[in-house]
Amino acid sequence: MNRFPRALSVCLLLGSAGLYGCAGQQSNDQALQQASADFQKVKEDTDVLRSAPKDVIRAGELLGKAERLSSYLGTGNDVTHYAYLSRRYSEIAREHSNLLLNTERLAKMEMDRQRLQLALRESKLASAQEHGRWLEDQIVSLATTQTERGLVMTLGDVLFDTGHTELKSSANRTVLKVVQFLQLNPKRVVRIEGYTDNVGDKQENLQLSKDRAQSVADVLTDLGIDDKRIQVQGYGDQFPVSANAAERGRAQNRRVEIVFSDAEGRLGPDR
Amino acid sequence: MSSFLNSRCLFAAVVLATLAGCANDPAPVEQMKLTEKALEQAKAVGAGEDQAELQAAQAKFAQARSDMTSESFKSARMNAEQAELDARLAEAQVLTAKSEEQITQLNTRLNRLRKQLGESQ
Repeated sequence: MNRFPRALSVCLLLGSAGLYGCAGQQSNDQALQQASADFQKVKEDTDVLRSAPKDVIRAGELLGKAERLSSYLGTGNDVTHYAYLSRRYSEIAREHSNLLLNTERLAKMEMDRQRLQLALRESKLASAQEHGRWLEDQIVSLATTQTERGLVMTLGDVLFDTGHTELKSSANRTVLKVVQFLQLNPKRVVRIEGYTDNVGDKQENLQLSKDRAQSVADVLTDLGIDDKRIQVQGYGDQFPVSANAAERGRAQNRRVEIVFSDAEGRLGPDR
Repeated sequence: MSSFLNSRCLFAAVVLATLAGCANDPAPVEQMKLTEKALEQAKAVGAGEDQAELQAAQAKFAQARSDMTSESFKSARMNAEQAELDARLAEAQVLTAKSEEQITQLNTRLNRLRKQLGESQ
C-alpha cells in the first residue's frame, strides 16, 4: 500500500530531473555548436593555422573536452564553460592571424615606399639638373639666415599657388637641398613654420599657414626624412617680416620658414 | 527487498559524496595570477574600457575574486579562466587595430608619393 505513492514520487523526481536536464542540454548543445563552427572555420584557414597553431590546438582540445562532458550527466555549466573557452581561442587565433597578415603587408608596403622615395628623389634631381642649377649645393647660400632662432631658410610665396597648399615643382631644388643637408646631418631636426599676410580671416590664415607647412613636411618625409625629425607649426599672420600695407610686404609675409636645429638636434623654442 | 533498498541508498550516498568532492575544488591561485597578468598586459598595449571584451574580463575577474573570498573555488576558477581569455582577445584586437591604422597611414604616404611621381614625369 505504501509502495505506490513512493513509485509515483520517484517518477516525479526522475521526470523533473529529466526536464532540468533537457533545459541544460539545449544551452549546452547551442554552445557546442557555436564552438565547433568557430573551430571548423579557423581549422580550415591556412593563414590562421600558420600564424597561430597553438591557439588552434587549444581551441580543439577545449572543444573536445566540452563534447566529452556533454555526454555525462550532472556536469552543470562545465560544457558551456569549455565551449566558451574554445570559442575564445578560435577568436584569438583569428586575431593573431590578422595581425600577422597586416605585418606582412606593412613590410611589403614599406619596401614600396622606399622604392618610390628613391624614384622621386631621382626624378627631382633630374628636373633640377635640367634647370642647370644643381651646382650650387651649399645650403647656406640659399636664402638662409642665422637668427636667434637658429639657421632659418625661407621658402617664399612664389613656391605656392594662391590659396593652395601644395608646393610647386619650382621648389624642387630647394627641397632637395634641405633633404641632402638633413641626410648629411642626421642629428639635426627641423621645425617648419607657416606664415600668411593679414588679408582675410584670421582662422583661415592660421589653417592655411599650418597646411602649407605640413605640405613642406610631407615632401620631406616623401623624400626619406624620418617624420620624427620634423615639427610643424602654423602661425597665421603673426610675426610679419615686412609691413602688410604694401603688396610687396604682404608677399614677403606669405612664407614658410624652415628652422634648423644645431648639430646636436637642439631646436630653439617655439615662438 | 530491504537489502536491495539499502544498497541503493548506499549507492546514492556514494554518488552524492563524489559530486560533493568534485565541487570542492582547490583554490585556483595560479589561474588568478595568470588572469591578472593577462589583464595587465591587455591594458599595457592600450585596451580601453570601451572594449566589450575588456569589460567582460574585468567583471569576471572581480567575480572570481569575490568567489575566492567566499571559497567557491570552482566558480572562481571558471570566472578567472574566462576572464583570462577575454583579456587576451582584447589585447589581440588592439594590436590588430593598431596595425590596420599603420596600413592606412602608409597607404596615404604611398598614394602621395605615387601622385608626386605621376606629376613630375
